[in-house]
Amino acid sequence: MTIADSQPFIRPDGKEKVTGAGRYTADLNLTGQLYAKFRYADHSHARILSIDTAPAAALPGVFAVLTWRDVPAVLYGGYVQDRRLFAKEKVRWEGDVVAAVAARTPEIAAEAAGLIEIQYEVLPAQIDFEANAAAEAPLIHEQWAEYEADESVGLAGNILGHSSVVKGDADAAMAKAAIVVKSRYVADASQGAPIEPRAISAEWHGDKVTIWSSTQVPFAARSGVAHALDIAESQVRIIVPLLGGGFGSKCDFHFEAHIAALARATQRPVKLVFSRREEFLAPDHRREGMIIELETGTDPAGRLLARRGRLVLDKGAYCGEGGFFAQMAAMHACGPYKIDTINIDSYLNYSNSQPSGSVRAPTAPQACWALEQHMDEVATAVGIDPVELRRLNIIEEGDVGPTGQIFEAIGAKETLTAALEMIGYGQELPDDEAIGVACGWWPSFGSASGAYVKLNSDGSGTIITGAMESGTGAVMGLPLLAAQTLGMKPEDFSILYQDTDAGPWDMGSSGSQTTFNNGRAVIAAATEVRSKLLDMAAEELEAHRDDLVLAEGAVRVKGSPESHVTIAHLAGTGEPILGKGSGVVPDSPEVDASTCVGRLGLESFLAPQLMTQAVRVKIDRATGVVQVLEVAAAHDSGVIVNKIGADGQVYGGVLMGIGQALTEATVFDEEGRQRNPDLLHYKLQTASDAPEIQIRWIEIDTPNAGPNGSKGVGEPPSVPTPGAVGNAVAKLVGRHVDRLPMTAERVWNTLDAARAGTP
Amino acid sequence: MSVPASATLLHVVREQIGLTGSKEGCDDSECGACMMLLDGEPVNSCSYLAVQADGSAITTVEGLAPGDTLAPLQEAFLVAGGVQCGFCTPGMLISATRLLRDNPDPTTDEVRLELSGNLCRCTGYDGIVKAVMEVAARTAEKSAGD
Amino acid sequence: MTSYLAATSLEEAVAALADGARPIAGGTDLVVGARQGKKPLPEALVGIHRIPGLNGIRDSDDGLEIGAMTSHAAVVAHPTVRNRYSGLADASALVGSHATRAQGTIGGNLMNASPAMDTGAPLLCFDSAVTLASARGTRNLSLADLWTGPGHTSAGRDELLVAVHVPAPPPSTGSAYVRLQYRRQMEIAVVGAAAVVTLSEGTVTAAAIAITALAPVIHRVAEAEARLIGGKANAAAIASAADAAAEASRPIDDVRASANYRKAMAAVVARRAIETAISRAGGAEVEIPASESTYGS
Repeated sequence: MTIADSQPFIRPDGKEKVTGAGRYTADLNLTGQLYAKFRYADHSHARILSIDTAPAAALPGVFAVLTWRDVPAVLYGGYVQDRRLFAKEKVRWEGDVVAAVAARTPEIAAEAAGLIEIQYEVLPAQIDFEANAAAEAPLIHEQWAEYEADESVGLAGNILGHSSVVKGDADAAMAKAAIVVKSRYVADASQGAPIEPRAISAEWHGDKVTIWSSTQVPFAARSGVAHALDIAESQVRIIVPLLGGGFGSKCDFHFEAHIAALARATQRPVKLVFSRREEFLAPDHRREGMIIELETGTDPAGRLLARRGRLVLDKGAYCGEGGFFAQMAAMHACGPYKIDTINIDSYLNYSNSQPSGSVRAPTAPQACWALEQHMDEVATAVGIDPVELRRLNIIEEGDVGPTGQIFEAIGAKETLTAALEMIGYGQELPDDEAIGVACGWWPSFGSASGAYVKLNSDGSGTIITGAMESGTGAVMGLPLLAAQTLGMKPEDFSILYQDTDAGPWDMGSSGSQTTFNNGRAVIAAATEVRSKLLDMAAEELEAHRDDLVLAEGAVRVKGSPESHVTIAHLAGTGEPILGKGSGVVPDSPEVDASTCVGRLGLESFLAPQLMTQAVRVKIDRATGVVQVLEVAAAHDSGVIVNKIGADGQVYGGVLMGIGQALTEATVFDEEGRQRNPDLLHYKLQTASDAPEIQIRWIEIDTPNAGPNGSKGVGEPPSVPTPGAVGNAVAKLVGRHVDRLPMTAERVWNTLDAARAGTP
Repeated sequence: MSVPASATLLHVVREQIGLTGSKEGCDDSECGACMMLLDGEPVNSCSYLAVQADGSAITTVEGLAPGDTLAPLQEAFLVAGGVQCGFCTPGMLISATRLLRDNPDPTTDEVRLELSGNLCRCTGYDGIVKAVMEVAARTAEKSAGD
Repeated sequence: MTSYLAATSLEEAVAALADGARPIAGGTDLVVGARQGKKPLPEALVGIHRIPGLNGIRDSDDGLEIGAMTSHAAVVAHPTVRNRYSGLADASALVGSHATRAQGTIGGNLMNASPAMDTGAPLLCFDSAVTLASARGTRNLSLADLWTGPGHTSAGRDELLVAVHVPAPPPSTGSAYVRLQYRRQMEIAVVGAAAVVTLSEGTVTAAAIAITALAPVIHRVAEAEARLIGGKANAAAIASAADAAAEASRPIDDVRASANYRKAMAAVVARRAIETAISRAGGAEVEIPASESTYGS
């Protein structure tokens, strides 16, 4: 079918996006606005001795210069409250904000920021996050014991978090295993790198502040601003204009409070727009660097008897919302496999570099890359095809997971079969090509969420929701679900969203959960509307409610279609028709994780999504340059509500995964400064690097799923890609590349070592 | 109009003329979100001074179709899933428009190479490339039918 | 405050240069440098892209005369450049993106004096010279004498590069430029090499080899050339010449590659450039850009 033949539902925000009429945050200007600029830390680790803002304040055109003295003495952070809006005692990474300026022009603001005089006592930058756990390592947060922290995280000195997965006696099982394989992999940090650098504008109206922000999570931003400025949430309204991508990196609250504080101090609207360099350096959101050590014992046939593991994750300078990373990584070091015994310890350590935060499936692509390459190493040791090893051990309905979760119907094996079939696994290939395979998993996140649905007098509907649209098409699914419930067309609905004063609370564009949770809420709200319509129509048509159906924009009497009343007529009577709903959050599966520490809820995977990707690559052995030629992605994300949107997530997620596999790394110098904060040296994949991607959805009936049997879609596509690429490359190189990204130089070095037979 | 000699073409079009369709994604010609046509040829307007364009014809995304209509490429981007967050879309459409003008019947690889100056993080370029190929195929069909 | 003059004649332009103005054409490098705070925009700019006669390629029996304002896109598209000066087409085809190639000029590229510029090595191998104009008159300078260091040239501040002269190569000459790249587009050379080789009955009668991004300036490698000239164009000779090119390199360690890797890759790209030049000298068609068509070889 060609595009012209089909009649798809076009995304509601589409026309304004292709005409250039749509407004993103940086496109908005407020009358009288000033421009903000931050003064960042001059060192990655230093004690602040003094800050003199006078030279900046004296510059003509400067309206305000703020430091820690000018805001409430409040600490913030998701699991550990370890950060201030403005650094006070110390700076702990190069992007720490020391001061903020508001001035008449961006140029004056930048000049003023540079005039602020800061005296430091420079401390050694502690960027070796593994070494920071040592007892003798100096503390990055001297006051850590006084911080407010979630007890389950396990904060202790430079270790922000510790989590374990313990199942049975892995030591004993390992000792008895016929085959034991040990591996160590190291992943570099990388970036979400949305094409829109963030922008924020703030304006006060009396005691209330309105903030336009390019955030993925407006309600979290509202809470953050209220907390950091010590005001009520009701005083804060966050509006998100069109959002130019996020990929997790625009999650959490951060700079909104700084700009609100500047706007209050100057009594003028203030606007901040990040340069690309700042977009790399300043957010507390990069994908975390990670060390992954794995050991697996099997029986002679390849059945997994024991898994031991030690993971160390680079948290960077502050917690942000990333406090759960140790546990998430530990679950991904187990993977979607039946393993008799497990003992994995996972540590999340502070360092003097950019804080790690959620970027599309946080921790999973790196951990999966290591695990899936390790699995191929195990297959080699057992003497079976890597695919056979997976077939033998992948989870199925009734199997027991690492934390005792008993899996319900799940399409893991089907994804494996489908991916292999699509790529033509086993085909004859030229000697510079190979196919690699990786499996992965990712939970669905149940969360409270709400929506209102109201009908308008012309028979159209409006969905009022707290949900967010970062470009994923998440909100495209909402009209589909409302229309389905009300016998209307999706085009009949407008959406009022991305405004905290309008919709109910929502966790925002994070965790791939908009359809899962807000879809459920929209159905509940539409169901209430439906009920009201049926009542009104029953009276009008003098028919029994049970004899009525909603179809084609009208309420009809079953069996006598000419007897009907239109929704427009009912909605036009003046009687408000408004439904609200949230639905019931599905329960997380029961687990027995009493043997595990650092439990933050991720020991239970609600409606888990399973995926297998098979990747065909080509290598230039003389240079180590790898090209990905073809990807086959088979995903169990439950029933697909909005196919064009879901497909789009796979196309984009796979390419992001290829970038992480081959070219994307944030490289730090010895002082913890980023060496490549620009798009020439931080290399996203271009259109000419992108392979053909085939997709197959394994739409099985999933218990505890979201609307229509759906699960999440957005994050999983990136999870198995680097591992699949790694396994393909290893077949061509003769051994596994143990650093991520697998850059040309690293591939070439590995080839060299494989040829020489050196370790 | 009068512009400061140091102002970029992008800045003048966005802030002085008020057309904000062209986006600023970087400041070193690496992302293509600011792309415009300058006398018919693509330019990263973030790295080009407005004064240099004195007397030249500039086309931005706002000028791809008259009034309230959509150009075939704009339509095809929407239908094929070539738009997600939309931030790269204006520059991408500029490149695609110029490509089909000069090469109405491109191969997929030619499309991929020609759009490489426009980074997209959402779509994996799949829907974008499909959209361009679709418009090219439709144009070819039409001219074959004439 | 920056001032701007749109020059409509060469005289006007060189007069402005004599008064201290800096030339601007495609704009990219100057504007990017200023926006990133590396170097503020000069106080006085003179736009040279509207000067008649500076844009275009003149093709004669003696060779090419490429106007300084000629875009990379025009270079790649020129049939003679593609056929007889293929190495230059290989290079221009790789510059940045389609927009960079549309706006970026050969003159701007050469005067930027970056050791990683793609067009430098092939032009050097073709023994190209440039014409510099100033209010004092014009002079010709070999390309080898133009570059003095990264970002530095021997041109006076009042001189404007107006044309590049590329002498016609003898019959049975082939050329190529190959660079190491991590993406197919939007790259700058991590390492690169150009070769121009003339054959007579299977024997190399003339050879020029230059390396890119491997030293403070792009330069020829006499030892590599010597290992080819007078001998048969066989694999052993090519490998030996390529090794000589690598030995002559003095690469840096940076975020894009280590010095060690760069040195090893110098031998690879030099070999590919020489092989391609020899193939082309023998009349074979090797697709432009050679960096793509020699992938995996």
